[in-house]
Formats: sequence, C-alpha cells, structure tokens
Amino acid sequence: MKLRDTIRTSARALTINKMRSALTMLGIIIGVGSVVLMVSVGRSFEGYILDQIDSFGGGAIDLYPTGFEKFGQTLDSLKFEDYEAVKRLSTVESIAPVIIVTEKITYGTEEASPMVFGTTKEIQRNYGLKLDLGRFIDERDVKSASSVAVLASETAENLFGNANPIGERIRIGERFYTVIGTLKTVGSLLLQDLDEFVYVPYSTARSVTGQRYLSYINLLAVGDDKLAQQDIKTILRKRHSIRNPEDDPDKDDFLVRSSEQVTEIINSVSLGLTAFMGLIAGISLLVGGIGIMNIMLVSVAERTREIGLRKALGARRQDILFQFLIEAVALTIAGGVIGIIGALLLGLVLTAVAGKFLGDISFAMSLPAVLAAALMAGVIGVAFGLYPARKAAALSPMEAIRWEG
Amino acid sequence: MPKVPLIQTKALCKSYFNEELETPVLFDLDLTIQEGEFVSIMGPSGSGKSTLMHILGFLDNITSGQYLFRGKPTRTMSDDELAQIRATRVSFVFQAFNLLPRTSVLDNVMLPLLYHPTIPVYEREDRARKAIEKVGLTDRADYLTNQLSGGQQQRVAIARSLVTEPDLIFADEPTGNLDSKSGVAVMEVLQDLHKQGHTIILVTHEMSTAQHAQRIIQLLDGKVDKDSTNFKRIIAKKSNTLK
Ligand SMILES: Nc1ncnc2c1ncn2[C@@H]1O[C@H](COP(=O)(O)OP(=O)(O)OP(=O)(O)O)[C@@H](O)[C@H]1O
Ligand SMILES: [Mg+2]
Repeated sequence: MKLRDTIRTSARALTINKMRSALTMLGIIIGVGSVVLMVSVGRSFEGYILDQIDSFGGGAIDLYPTGFEKFGQTLDSLKFEDYEAVKRLSTVESIAPVIIVTEKITYGTEEASPMVFGTTKEIQRNYGLKLDLGRFIDERDVKSASSVAVLASETAENLFGNANPIGERIRIGERFYTVIGTLKTVGSLLLQDLDEFVYVPYSTARSVTGQRYLSYINLLAVGDDKLAQQDIKTILRKRHSIRNPEDDPDKDDFLVRSSEQVTEIINSVSLGLTAFMGLIAGISLLVGGIGIMNIMLVSVAERTREIGLRKALGARRQDILFQFLIEAVALTIAGGVIGIIGALLLGLVLTAVAGKFLGDISFAMSLPAVLAAALMAGVIGVAFGLYPARKAAALSPMEAIRWEG
Repeated sequence: MPKVPLIQTKALCKSYFNEELETPVLFDLDLTIQEGEFVSIMGPSGSGKSTLMHILGFLDNITSGQYLFRGKPTRTMSDDELAQIRATRVSFVFQAFNLLPRTSVLDNVMLPLLYHPTIPVYEREDRARKAIEKVGLTDRADYLTNQLSGGQQQRVAIARSLVTEPDLIFADEPTGNLDSKSGVAVMEVLQDLHKQGHTIILVTHEMSTAQHAQRIIQLLDGKVDKDSTNFKRIIAKKSNTLK
C-alpha cells in the first residue's frame, strides 16, 4: 500500500466516524488541558505570592509580640521603650513602630473600615508607599501628636470618590483628623491590601487608644539581616529578662520574622502546592487516558471487523498498523494542540479574572507541564490507538470479521 | 504429466474453538479444483460450505490436514505472502456482504485497489465504475452502503470482487438476496469471467443457480457427499429471463 493511500485511508476513517474521532479527541483534550491548566495556574499563583514577598523588600524585618493569649487579654509585650532600644542598634535602620487603631472612619455619610496604622514616617519607605497628593506624616506630626491622616488610594476613593480629600476633615472614632495626603495604588503586601489603609501619627494613635504597647514594629536591616535579627533578639531578651540560649521561639514573648524567612515558608508552601497540582494533573491525565482508552475500546469490535475486511481484501499487517498509527497520531496531535492552547487561553482568562480581585498576577505557562502532557498524550494515544490494531491484525481475516468483542 | 491443481485439499479438518468448546465442521475433506473450472458447492444449511470457502479463499486457518495452492502448502506461507495472494490472486463475495459502513458504494468497490500492488491509481475509479455498472448500480455509486437494500448491498459486494479481476473468484450465495432477473445478470457476469479463463467457485442452495457451473459438489456434514460433472448446464442470458 502506498503512503499516500494510507494517509488518505486514515483521514477517511477519521472523518467518516466523526463522533468516534471527536470523543477520542475530547479525551485527549481534557487529559492534556487539565494538566497544562492545573500546573500553569498553580505556577501563576506561586509567582504572585512570591511577588508579594518580593515587594516587601530584602532585609525587611517584622517584630511581633507573642505569648499565651488569655481570654480578653491582648499581647502587650512590645513596649515603646523596646522600640527605642531596637532603634539604637547599629544593624537596624528605618524603624517604624505601629499601633493599630480599630475604629470606623466616617466622612459625612460615607463610612469605611480600613486598617488604621498609628506610625512614623519610616513606614513610607519600608512599605514602598508613593504619594499621590499632599504629604506623608512627618516628625513634627509625631512630636505634636497632631490630628492628621494620610489615606491610601482605595480608602480615599471610598470616602471621597473623585473629589480632592486634601484639607477635608474625617472622623476616626471620636476624633476629627485633617487629611494631609493620599497615596498611589500599591496593591497588596503579604496578602494584605495596602490600598485600604489609613496612616496617622504614632503619638496620636497612642493617646486616643491609651495603648502603652506596640501592635507591631517594622524595620530594615543594615547589611546581613541575620545579624540584625540576632541583635534584636539579644536586646529584647535582656530587656524582658528572658534566658533563651537555645534560641527557642516558644520561650520568647516576641517574634522576629524576616522577609527571607517568609519567602522560605512560602516557597515550601508553593512547592507543596506545585506537588499537589502535579498530583491533580497526574490524576486528570489518568482520567483523560482512561477516557481515551474507553472510547477506543468501545469501537474495538467495529474496528476489528474493519481490519478483518481490509486484510481479506489484501491489506498487509504493516498497512493496517500504519493506518492506525496515522489515525492515532493525528488525533493525538489535534487533541493535544487544542488541549494545550485551550488550557493556556483558559489559564490567561482565569488569572486575568483573579487579577481583578488580587492585583497583579502574571500568567506563567509551565513548559515542563506542556511537554509532559504532550508526551503522555502521545504515548497514551498511540498505545491505545495501536493496541486494537495489533491484536486484530494478528487474527485471520475471518476471525477478525466475526469479532464481537 | 498431470497438471498441478490450482486448489487441492488433503484430509482437511476445521474446528471452531470458543473458550475451549470445540465445534468440528469439516472432516478429512479431500477436494481438487483445476485452474479454469467453474464449480458450484451445494449442501444443507450448516454443512460447512462457507467455512470451506473461507479456508480456500485464504481467509481462515485450518485445524489439520493440508491446503495446497498451486502445489504449495498454505501453512508454509508467510503473512505477507498471504496478503499478496488476497490482494492479487483471489477475491471473495461474502454471504454477509461485509461492506464498510458509512462509506460510499464507489469507495467500497475501490477498497481492494488500495491494496493492489500494480493497478495504477488513475485506473482505480474507472475500474470501480465499470464493476458497479456490471451489477447494475451505476445510479447508486455515490450512496452510502447503509442507504441500500439487501440485494443492492449484495451487488456492491459482487462488484468489489470483480474490480481487481483476479484469477480465482469465490462467491458465497451471491444471488441469495436477488430477484431472479438480477440473479441471472450476476450469473451472466460470472459465466463471462469464466469464459475469459477465471476460476469460479460458487456456493448456492438453489439447483437452478448451481447448474450454471460445470461441476457440482455436494457437501454433507463437513464431507464431500457427491462430486459430479453438470450435464444440464444453463447459460445465463438476459433474454432468458424475459420469458
Ligand atoms: N465462529 C464459529 N464458531 C463456532 N461454530 C461456528 C462458527 N462459524 C460457523 N460455525 C458452525 O459451523 C457450521 C458450518 O457453518 P457454515 O457457515 O460453514 O455453514 P454453511 O454451510 O455456510 O451454512 P449456510 O448455508 O446456512 O450458510 C455450523 O454448524 C455453524 O454453527
Ligand atoms: Mg454459508
């Protein structure tokens, strides 16, 4: 049989049995598509999460109070004096104390409940905040505990819409504050939406809340952040009279966390996530493979009779195998390409939609997943395409023609 | 010096096996057919006619004994050798037609030409249309086989067996589904081919059809019961049917 005839025969067989071809292809499309989609979307979110940490900046360190949280008792182990002591360390710079004010904000009839940070000007650098209008909190504001506030972009929009908020007076809890600045959109940091924040002077927050301790301290390390962490631990343990030569975090009443540690944690999380995605992908490939196999096995009786007839009319074994190989390859390539392209498009759409809610997510195609999916679809498609042909071609023509399955 | 027979079987036995269950069908069957003969095989239903035809037509294996084709045992032939014989030397009209479903009459009839090593591509459609014309289906050439009546399907199967014009033609009840007029037309085609030197082996259960051959073999329970020259030979002419 000539190659051209074999190709034409395969093409005929595929177009004549449209339903069978379509279902087989669907199996491959689902198998390949789910692998590519799962892994690519997984990778995109991983990239997004890593971005979040990246914008946190290298060398950034967070300092939290910890301890046994009894009912109704807040964590108050980080004092203002601790902040002063840490600030004096030579391995530390740009340190910002934070008191969180949990009050509603109103402007006329508009209401918002953003995160209100009582802090100092250093937070602007540490968080990478950019001014849109006006100015940020400065040292004078802190010194005089003035009633001023800086609004992040979304808070500003919620309260004022498109109007200019500078100079307007908003109410936080019982007190009125003059808006002195607004910020540009920055997105989120460590999964917190920074655009829904309000910043007031640290000293003002301290006097309205009456709080004698800090909710949290944010700072940057000078040079090696491991050294800075060690210095902070040493000084805080000395101040809090904690003996902890084993460096056991459970014995401390505070927690030092650097962006690198967070990165490590999230890396391991995302590694787990990728493995999980891979598992799902593997399962979907298996399911897709079983789907392909089923379609092919359903038509085995008919195909076996066809093979018997072709052999009766003079087809050699190689003619049969070649016809079926071409059919399987064509279906696998068509299904594989549609599956991959479809999955990538769907992935793009999904990340774009997710991006609307979460901020910037860029779609990351996973090339290894594409290759693995293509390879496995090829192997499964060709194996199960050739399997009935091999079996049937080994029968005598009449045995094949009489085949009932 | 005696001529080497085209077909010779020696103590040929055939059993079907279905999950260890043996169904013996042909028993120690001896048969010789010379090149250029026109033979009818008759016998009651289930006597093994189709089984014998399939074996002689290289479509099924034998259980024991020998089948010699031009003196060569078929058991010693390789897969490709058998395929070559099926493609070029023999053709078969199946009792159950065995057409490709969802495929046009023309494509069905052209199918054997795909596997023929020497007939050129440009001759294919011409040959197929001529074979279709011989069985009177010119106006149905582009129909799908499942859009045809039983008799029409049978004629497609006959056309397919004519298209390569092989030396040896097996026809298993080729007129079983046909009216007498179409039946006579088919017999005329077969007798024409025989006149041109082709060997024809025909299975039928109607004496009037069998009598178109030169020789009639009666099978009974998997054995040759009678084997005789046909002295009352009927010559098929379309005019005969007009009476
Ligand atoms: N695949 C098979 N498995 C088991 N037995 C079979 C098989 N095919 C045929 N037989 C048996 O072999 C015997 C002969 O069958 P065969 O088809 O050769 O008969 P036949 O003479 O052609 O009959 P008919 O005139 O009805 O076509 C029958 O008894 C049948 O039951
Ligand atoms: Mg029969």
